Amino acid sequence: MKAFMSVVALIGAMGILLLAGMILEIVPSNTVRLVEGYMPMQILFELSLFVAGFTGLSYVLGTMGMPIPRFWQAIAFWSFILLYLKFRVYPPIPFSVRAMYGTVSLVAVFMWVSANEEDWKKFKQPIMNILDAQTGANKMLRYGYLVLLPILIGGFSYNSMVPKSEEPIELRTVHPAPPASTKVHGKTYTLQTSQNPFRVNAEGKYDQEYSNANIVEQGMGRLMKPNANPWDKDAQGYLKYVREGGEIFFQNCHFCHGDNLNGRGLHAFAFNPIPANFTDPGTIAQLQESFIFWRIAKGGIGLPNEGFPWASVMPPWEQHLTVDEIWKVILFEYWHTGYYPRTWD
Amino acid sequence: MKNSFSLMAGRLLIAAFGVILVAGSAGSLAFADETIPEGFKKGELAPLPAAEMIEAGKRVYFTKCVWCHGVDGAGDGPSADRLWPRPRNFNQGTFKIRRTASGELPLFDAKKPTPGQNDLFETLTHGLPGSAMPSWEGILTEEQRLQVLSFVTTQLVKDRKFDDKQSEAQTVLQLDDLKPVAATEESVKRGAELVVEKKCVECHGMEGRGDGNAFNLKDDWGFSIQPADWHKCWNFRGSRQDPYNVKNIFRTFSTGVNGTPMPSFADNSTVEERWHIANFVNSLCEREASGKPLPIDPLTDKPKINFVVSSGVVEGEIPVDPEHELWTNRARRYVAMGGQITHKPRNFVNRIDDIWVKSLYNDKHVVFMFQWDDRTKSVASEKLPWAPTEVNIAVKEQEPKTGEEGSIATRQNNYAVYNDAIAMQTAVKWKELPAPIKPRYLFGSNEQFPVDIVKWEADGSLRAFEGTGWDKDFAERDTYEENIKILHSEWNNGRWTVMIQRPLGNKKDQDYDEDTFFEMGQYIPTVFFAWDGHNGDAGRKMAVSAFYYTFLEPPTPREAYIYPVVIAFGVVLLEGWVLTRRSNKRKGKTL
Repeated sequence: MKAFMSVVALIGAMGILLLAGMILEIVPSNTVRLVEGYMPMQILFELSLFVAGFTGLSYVLGTMGMPIPRFWQAIAFWSFILLYLKFRVYPPIPFSVRAMYGTVSLVAVFMWVSANEEDWKKFKQPIMNILDAQTGANKMLRYGYLVLLPILIGGFSYNSMVPKSEEPIELRTVHPAPPASTKVHGKTYTLQTSQNPFRVNAEGKYDQEYSNANIVEQGMGRLMKPNANPWDKDAQGYLKYVREGGEIFFQNCHFCHGDNLNGRGLHAFAFNPIPANFTDPGTIAQLQESFIFWRIAKGGIGLPNEGFPWASVMPPWEQHLTVDEIWKVILFEYWHTGYYPRTWD
Repeated sequence: MKNSFSLMAGRLLIAAFGVILVAGSAGSLAFADETIPEGFKKGELAPLPAAEMIEAGKRVYFTKCVWCHGVDGAGDGPSADRLWPRPRNFNQGTFKIRRTASGELPLFDAKKPTPGQNDLFETLTHGLPGSAMPSWEGILTEEQRLQVLSFVTTQLVKDRKFDDKQSEAQTVLQLDDLKPVAATEESVKRGAELVVEKKCVECHGMEGRGDGNAFNLKDDWGFSIQPADWHKCWNFRGSRQDPYNVKNIFRTFSTGVNGTPMPSFADNSTVEERWHIANFVNSLCEREASGKPLPIDPLTDKPKINFVVSSGVVEGEIPVDPEHELWTNRARRYVAMGGQITHKPRNFVNRIDDIWVKSLYNDKHVVFMFQWDDRTKSVASEKLPWAPTEVNIAVKEQEPKTGEEGSIATRQNNYAVYNDAIAMQTAVKWKELPAPIKPRYLFGSNEQFPVDIVKWEADGSLRAFEGTGWDKDFAERDTYEENIKILHSEWNNGRWTVMIQRPLGNKKDQDYDEDTFFEMGQYIPTVFFAWDGHNGDAGRKMAVSAFYYTFLEPPTPREAYIYPVVIAFGVVLLEGWVLTRRSNKRKGKTL
């Protein structure tokens, strides 16, 4: 038991050290990457690991004869969560959201310390000691608090009343509901039935399995399959069109969506919302090819209101590309990220 | 006891470092003959990578790199003609960022991804900021990066051999062993003298904004090239994602930039002089008012962006002099600019990539001060062939695939020169639009919700337009122009400073349907546009910002001084109550 608890305590101690490192900017907060799309699960997992770690830590300290009073445990744990949210989570979350999480965890901490009468008594003992001021040190502390509290609270209220400017938070729908059909270059495309005409095998027949077998491999780097090089002179069908799509992508799209299709192109830093990251499992991997076709053809200007058409710099590509070119770019985007487009069945 | 021990350990450590340093410099002294410049040491050529590495690298290259660098590595991939600088042509073995002496091949060893010993690996890891080359860290594994470099250095570098002892040598800058000279005031001052002495300013300009000799510089392939703007260190190609690190500047200055007119200064300057210069160049990079480096966003490697441009209140007249205390004390805002690549003619290469905005207001007017770096002062020599209100003008956009002849890189500095210009666009009836809805960022959405555009041009004109859509000609607003004013406009050593005054709006004599009402304490959607006349910018060929907010800071209300005192007093009373209650309870009394 003791050995097990020591191991757990080690985790707790490491957690504290890591966080301290991140606060002092010795350890960059993206050392362990938060995986896009799985961030909440990862945070919950890490936090529960730390809770276990701290349990172990307090157990080990208890057996060593240096127990931490419940009062300080509660305060330390709560401040740990606040600091974790501020310094560990990258990209940073806004203060208003942090305040919400902070309140929720405060309630949780209170529920923990007041779980039974005895715990609650232990928790409030230090407060009572100071109120009663039986010893000299406690007396000093009491006077300290008596002076500090009004100053602090007065200061906070002054701070909140002084006019400040914080960027208004605007929440945008990333994948707005598509229309039933879209008209591009004079032809109407029904989104439910449209297929990518270039997703074809070497014989020129529509073949999803063939194209899925030739996309890049998942995993670090997302490299092409050794025998499926779109730049091969003899490449036919799907792979030939992937190359043509790539050429169009790198003449038009990479300025924003980036050389690696991760939304970090040359101009991306200037824009808000930032360009879509196709390597994120939450973007094109979730969508049908015909949805992408509609988004590319109509661009930001063609978004419904919840998609912030006024702020998007995404061009309506029908102004620049032919229908065939749009389909080829889509083909390339799925090839390069290694995702299969969603299908209707 | 404990203290003195740690002190001793510290001293020992310092002494140990001292010994290493002395040994290092003694070593370089021993080697120093005429051929090896100060601070360099002879190095060994690394062995060629294994055949498997090269084969594996081919797969990486044809997935990731071929799109820009081309099938034969000649820097002529599909993207090349719309990029400036163009992607690197590997064939000649010319690489920019190195620790090796000028003209030599860079450090590359496929078995050693050690920082400081592998130039090409570091370039791949950190990218080349300010160009289209991204950082590949986190995308390709270390192994994959070494593989692709193995392929590039053996198969695509055609004119030179990385292991040819007959013709190649490695003279390596001992960057990690040289101790930087502290960036004291004297050092920076000495550096400022040296950049004039060493003629750095001939290309980089008197204030280091890259505006000297800006038209005539060509790289080894005949393409126009710009001297670096020392005020934007985050755009330095060799910044290694650590732009305020003086060592990067020292390295570039010591080894030069192969393939460009930037020579190595190793032969005609001492190590100490080089540190002074590096300190000076580093001191020019934009910083916060406190002198601290700007916070850099690790996702973009550019300064972090705040989208609120706040305007400070002034009692009485707003000063006209940009050097006035009220202006110099005013916080400035970094506004990032990207190319307008939504509608034709698209601007794939925008030469203005940021502007600095300050603002002040009083009871009648709001003044915006724009400052931005532009290497060239451009004023159209003749009358422009279109009306100022015309939006769909005859400027052609770059064809995607033209070969080197017609590429953007070739056309640089050969454009017809139009006016430099800056404009701000605000929503007119923004109060009637439920937040966050705004008129479109590019010249507004329609007649119902138009935008108010105020545009200054380098020919000295200041005009006000109403925009009703990206392809609709502007409507001129004659009466409004009488109310707006250029307070200041000056191009000095590569930087424009333009101050524009405009009414707050919504007064009885102004038309609410046309003019933006700048209301105190509200967030007014604002977009900025900038044109560089020497880049052929005109009409929609321009640089654009995202949506920012203009925010007129309300003066501190009197309540902010009264209520906190009242609240603090209330807390004191509450404390008294709690204490009495507690002591009564202990004495057995109840209230």
